[in-house]
Amino acid sequence: MLEGFKNYIGVFKNSSWRVKLSALIMGSGQIIYGRIAKGLIYLFMEIAFLFYMIARGFKDIKGFFTLGTQKADAWLGIAGDNSVVMLLMGIFAWIIVALFIGVYISNIKDAINIENTIISGKHPKAFIEELKELIDRKFYVTVLVLPVIGICVFNILPIIFMILISFTNYGGSTVPPELVDWVGLDNFKKILTLSKFAPTFIRILGWNILWAVVSTTLNYFAGIGLALLLNKDCVKGKAFFRAFPILAYAIPGFITLLAFKFMFSYGGPVNQMIRNAGGTPIGFLDLDAKWIARLIGLLVNCWISVPSIMLLATGHLSNRDMSLYEAARIDGATPFQQFKKLTLPFMLFATMPVLLGQFIGNFNNFGIFYFLRGGLYLDGYFLASDTDLLINWLYNLSIDNNYYCIGAAISLIIFIITSVISLAVYVNSPSFKEEDTFQ
Amino acid sequence: MMKKHSFGKAFDVAWTYALLIVVGFIFFFPCLWIVLASFSKSGSIYSFEGFFPTTYSIDTFKKLFTDTTMYNYPRWFFNTLFVAAGSCILGTFLTILTAYTMSRFEFRARKPMMKTTMVLGMFPSFMGMTAVYILMTQFGLINQIWGLILIYAAGAPMGYLTQKGFFDTIPKAIDEAAKIDGANSAQIFWKINLPLSKPIIVYTALTSFTWPWSDFILPKLLLKEKDLYTVAVGLMSLDETEFSRFAAGSVFIAVPIVIL
Repeated sequence: MLEGFKNYIGVFKNSSWRVKLSALIMGSGQIIYGRIAKGLIYLFMEIAFLFYMIARGFKDIKGFFTLGTQKADAWLGIAGDNSVVMLLMGIFAWIIVALFIGVYISNIKDAINIENTIISGKHPKAFIEELKELIDRKFYVTVLVLPVIGICVFNILPIIFMILISFTNYGGSTVPPELVDWVGLDNFKKILTLSKFAPTFIRILGWNILWAVVSTTLNYFAGIGLALLLNKDCVKGKAFFRAFPILAYAIPGFITLLAFKFMFSYGGPVNQMIRNAGGTPIGFLDLDAKWIARLIGLLVNCWISVPSIMLLATGHLSNRDMSLYEAARIDGATPFQQFKKLTLPFMLFATMPVLLGQFIGNFNNFGIFYFLRGGLYLDGYFLASDTDLLINWLYNLSIDNNYYCIGAAISLIIFIITSVISLAVYVNSPSFKEEDTFQ
Repeated sequence: MMKKHSFGKAFDVAWTYALLIVVGFIFFFPCLWIVLASFSKSGSIYSFEGFFPTTYSIDTFKKLFTDTTMYNYPRWFFNTLFVAAGSCILGTFLTILTAYTMSRFEFRARKPMMKTTMVLGMFPSFMGMTAVYILMTQFGLINQIWGLILIYAAGAPMGYLTQKGFFDTIPKAIDEAAKIDGANSAQIFWKINLPLSKPIIVYTALTSFTWPWSDFILPKLLLKEKDLYTVAVGLMSLDETEFSRFAAGSVFIAVPIVIL
């Protein structure tokens, strides 16, 4: 990379004055060599860029660092600076600068190219020919423009924005027209030490990890168990029995969750049956229902995710090498031993990426407790309840209560946790290390 | 000895079936419950005797579509349909194109792009949404159904890997033959690969239709007016006394998905 760059500088030094001129005035080299249309486009880009920088660019980049200095004052009629817009325009200005540097480099490369072709006595491509390349050899450029722009605007830009927000004090009462400032790592320190956030964070994190581990294990083994059960030779009408989980799988998640919420609510059928049997109704999802609510969450999640794991496992189970089982049976292995020594390693190997995906999905499982027990704030927790996961807390903080910067910091922490776990699991997993064990 | 063996086998079969029936019941029961509840006459969950309503009628379904003063279900339904169809068309188009180029062309930015999408996938999806929410509020773009379609469609190419796998299986020899006959890349794509990839297009269209159809987080964030709600958000705003209306609405929204 660096070598290639040095190489280019050498080529540039040896090139004629025409190329060097186009380093100053973009496109001039191309125009001198007769590629007028292309040269004009480069020239136009440089003028547009300079115009943008003078009109707004420099101001926007400065605003990116200061995030506004003039507070709005309705009495004095001062419009004031909007820090969020300034931050966004600042990011935008950086992107423009980066793009321009790219165009600039391509301009010099192009000038050198044209020069070299002319020196070697060939005829450089005309502008029309280059345009034609866009639907042939360089078809990918034309096609990828739209998706890349879409992903940049709706995925990358928001993420960059949020990462930056986590280093500011944006949120709470500090929203425009108040001025927002850079605060460095303060938000992270606050989450880990301040009495307002720290206890809640530690408790929620603990429950979150417990939840992710338990629910993933439970779903995984229940799913494989169900698949094995359906796979037994003695079962007739497999399609019939398989239809029930698939039916459950097809229903949109939010409907299932709301239905279960109604089922366990005070007036719901479960409590009515308890009442009919002479008991007192139980608030399964109420304020003080810590472990009952957590258990219900686990089971409901199981109901939702087991069918998909079952479908996946069924596919993999049919790929097993049955002669191994035959051999194991002759050697006197019990069914449980067969499961432990043959089925499980094979399934773990085959489904590791899915298992990892399930774990991350459960770690960030927003829906379950949002629907079952959303909007509860308990004592001992700051804007959260004892079933909330980090992602629910994040929602409560940033959407419902405007703690944007803390929310952004939490999402960064979630990102770090999940990516570290994914990397660790992935690097240590047998499917990564010994690719050919089961081949 | 033989007898004991066959007894063990019968026992094995018996508990397998028992377990299967229990599992089937566990999965089937809530569905049955919702469907029956949607036909309940009184509508409130409190009037139920145990799990099931006492009297049945189809009034709830009629009410669902005619009584629109409080809960405008038909409106929600068409909003959802509009969003899902829009993002289905746009999203499928973008995803197929991305997957195709990623599978067929060798270019310098290819590997970095694939790695970037992997890293992007690790950020909590929520993070982007909060940012989108903040930006939309800042620029007054909340309550725009079009915005929703754009966001869904723009995010769709992120999941291009399945489709890329499909294109990888179409032999490249066909492309080369066409190239020798003088076709350019655009023609190869339109005239040769696109007709061959009908199954994967259908698959992509289905997934990118069902996702907005049943998503609730994004519409909940971005649509604040009752008339603009999608069904998911609308159904969430119903409470226990409107239980059978919820059930009827759910049945109606789940049916297309189940059929698919």
